[in-house]
Amino acid sequence: MSKLLEIKGVCKSFPGVKALEDIDIDLDYGEVHVILGENGAGKSTLMKILSGAYQADTGEMFVEEQKVLHNSPKVSESLGIRMIYQELNLVEELSVAQNIFLGKEQYKGIALNKKQMNENARQMMANMNILVDPNTLIKDLGVGTQQMVEICKALSTNAKILVFDEPTSSLTDSEIAELFRIIRMLKEKGVGMFYISHRLEELKEIGDRVTIMRDGKKILTTAADQISMNEIIEGIAGRKIENLFPHTRKEPGDCLLEVNGLTGEKFRNVSIKVCAGEIVGMSGLVGAGRTEVARALMGIDRCNGGEAFLVGKPLPKNNIQKVVDMGLCLLPENRKTEGLALSLSIRENTIISSINRLFPGLITQKKKESQVVSQYVTDLNIATSSIEKLVQYLSGGTQQKVVVAKWLMSQSKVFIFDEPTRGIDVGAKSEIYRLMDELTKQGAGILMISSDLPEILGMSDRIYVMAQGDLVGELDAGEATQQEILRMAFKQHSPAVEEVG
Amino acid sequence: MNGNNTTVIKRKKFKISNLPNSTYIFGVLFIIFSLCIPNFFSPSNLSNLVVQASPLIIISIGMSMVIMTGCIDLSVGGNISMTGVIMATLLMLGMPAIFAILCGLAIGTCFGLLNGFIVQKMRVAPFIATFGMMGIAESIANIVSKKRTVYWEPSPTNELIKGVQTNLFQIQLGNKSSQTLFLSFITIICIVIAVIAIYVFKKTAFGAHIYSVGANEEIARLNSISPVKIRMAVYAISGFLAAVASLLYMSRINSAQPTMGDGLEFQAIVAAIIGGNSLRGGKGSIPGAILGALSLFAVRNALSLAGVGTSWVQVFIGVVLIVGMIFNALVYWWEHDRKSSRKITVKGAVQQ
Repeated sequence: MSKLLEIKGVCKSFPGVKALEDIDIDLDYGEVHVILGENGAGKSTLMKILSGAYQADTGEMFVEEQKVLHNSPKVSESLGIRMIYQELNLVEELSVAQNIFLGKEQYKGIALNKKQMNENARQMMANMNILVDPNTLIKDLGVGTQQMVEICKALSTNAKILVFDEPTSSLTDSEIAELFRIIRMLKEKGVGMFYISHRLEELKEIGDRVTIMRDGKKILTTAADQISMNEIIEGIAGRKIENLFPHTRKEPGDCLLEVNGLTGEKFRNVSIKVCAGEIVGMSGLVGAGRTEVARALMGIDRCNGGEAFLVGKPLPKNNIQKVVDMGLCLLPENRKTEGLALSLSIRENTIISSINRLFPGLITQKKKESQVVSQYVTDLNIATSSIEKLVQYLSGGTQQKVVVAKWLMSQSKVFIFDEPTRGIDVGAKSEIYRLMDELTKQGAGILMISSDLPEILGMSDRIYVMAQGDLVGELDAGEATQQEILRMAFKQHSPAVEEVG
Repeated sequence: MNGNNTTVIKRKKFKISNLPNSTYIFGVLFIIFSLCIPNFFSPSNLSNLVVQASPLIIISIGMSMVIMTGCIDLSVGGNISMTGVIMATLLMLGMPAIFAILCGLAIGTCFGLLNGFIVQKMRVAPFIATFGMMGIAESIANIVSKKRTVYWEPSPTNELIKGVQTNLFQIQLGNKSSQTLFLSFITIICIVIAVIAIYVFKKTAFGAHIYSVGANEEIARLNSISPVKIRMAVYAISGFLAAVASLLYMSRINSAQPTMGDGLEFQAIVAAIIGGNSLRGGKGSIPGAILGALSLFAVRNALSLAGVGTSWVQVFIGVVLIVGMIFNALVYWWEHDRKSSRKITVKGAVQQ
């Protein structure tokens, strides 16, 4: 059978870096080809060459056995190659139909043919089993539906090849199921798809073949059902990760954080505790209220009832400064916007919450700052050429370490990690896990909110499960299984009609 | 396809918080003034209000578009002074009005294009670029006019200017002078421009493209929309509309002053903001900006009827802006709060 797409011997260099070396990859009709690799392995570069955003230095590309000579965004579009980007490329203030037809509007005379476009958009969405008024503004839709609109937009131009770049990173489980259903539907229609993801478990569910890339080279391509998880992880990391989850379970120490019947707008009657040397997992579906609990504890959001104690002392409500001073800290899911000031250096980011303690007077000393920060940079093994490097130029994993350094310096006792490894590659993940283990060895307590079940099971000592704002269960990590956690998390959950107001 | 998994997304058709803020700001102000200030709600005052507000409405339309693309145009006021002074000087030198007007409009448009060029091609931040251009325009106005008011001799060749401010018709609704309803050419020009702007915005792809450039340049580019073209276009439109506004001012006072545009950029920005614009771009509406401009002039008009000194006007405009924003947040909160407490219905089957 002929191939839908073939790429042969593609090389690409940037000044000082060899981004791609002699890559061969192909795609069949109706196939989902998963591409795995760490950040910087060359996946995005390869996809950019496919979409014409970059020009390959050498190598050939064939679409339906026709050689593509000078690829450019325009050419690849005419060949039916479409990208579905990680960040949604929709305009929030415009309607579903306006977004689908953005840049290729249909005219009737000098005015837009709105009726026709609305009808087409409605039809296209209906084909994906989503009945939506095409006049609905994008900002009024959930992220999952927005992604469907994005796919619809790609399909509106007879796409033959779709590239999904981490499509599930912001979706809930039911939305992921919906996405997979549509991917299967597209397969039946013969659309070929590249699928880039960091979530390995998705590979088995949706992938036909898998290609692993590392440092700009292709490591292997094989059928998805003929490779084990361990082989995949080894392939991605390029080294044997004997134990991705290094946490050694031991007897917990004194109780550090105790929460009794905390109630807020999106959660009710939550009672948890975290002891010294313990990693407590908090699992549940997206939207179960886990992040909200953490924010209420920190004093960021209002809570309506309940109490919390840190090392026996009651935590003040609605006073972040005091909570931080007492030794509770939050490492938010969104590092880039909530955890770090990207345009400042590592030194400034690290020192920011300890500056009053280090320098009780008015005057700060850069030399002393540098000394203290350097100490933490060495301790945490933060990979950087200088502590004056701006945080925006660091990788996701390294950024996460800078956040940890900041809280370590401000002498925190309990760390709340919210989705600590989202969007981080396997190599950096294992370093973060080791860091968490190190923290507990030094007597800190960790509350880890995560949607990644293997991570929850691998790292936690105890696991709390939340569903729709209620704490529905507590499990011992030794006995817990993925099925059991999911059963609890889905307890009160059934697929809902999304209502837009 | 199996219908069992169909997701149905319902849309509430009408949402108060989706209306531009200026709708209710204008509504509230209008009712309060009508009730509290005698003569506010009289035909002649309302006709007059629209005439007074026309130049600001026109530049607010341009400003709103510029802000929607995520930029700003601080040079509008300077542009008004400059084009006004140039047109008046040409008239003074005896040029026929039609040529003087065309010259003024061309200069205004080119000035706007130059703004767009500096912002988009030279990559100067819009605030700084147009701030600089504001100074340049104001200085040119001073140089050309030698800091004096420019008059021209009435002659058959420039009757057109006089024509702009004449009334198309007057209707006497009672025997008092305050009961005259009149429609000036100024109002007609303003209405024509507003209608064209709204039409182009809603019925062609231009509006959607402006939003997309403002929301995210990258999205625009991926959809083969050129941010450069769109931004150049909105700056040119803003410059053109500034020249039109200048013409309206000039015809009303039968002269041009080198300071006549001072501060108008501020008022246009306020009108656009209470009209629903976000300074980050990607939001806003033309009708919103128009109502915003009307709100500002309702305040001015009411204050002068109530005998409050003109120095106080800016205070009240500032209060309207800030209170309007707070009010907007309250409306949003009220709707959002109701939304989150509304029950989510669970359905598995197709619903239509």
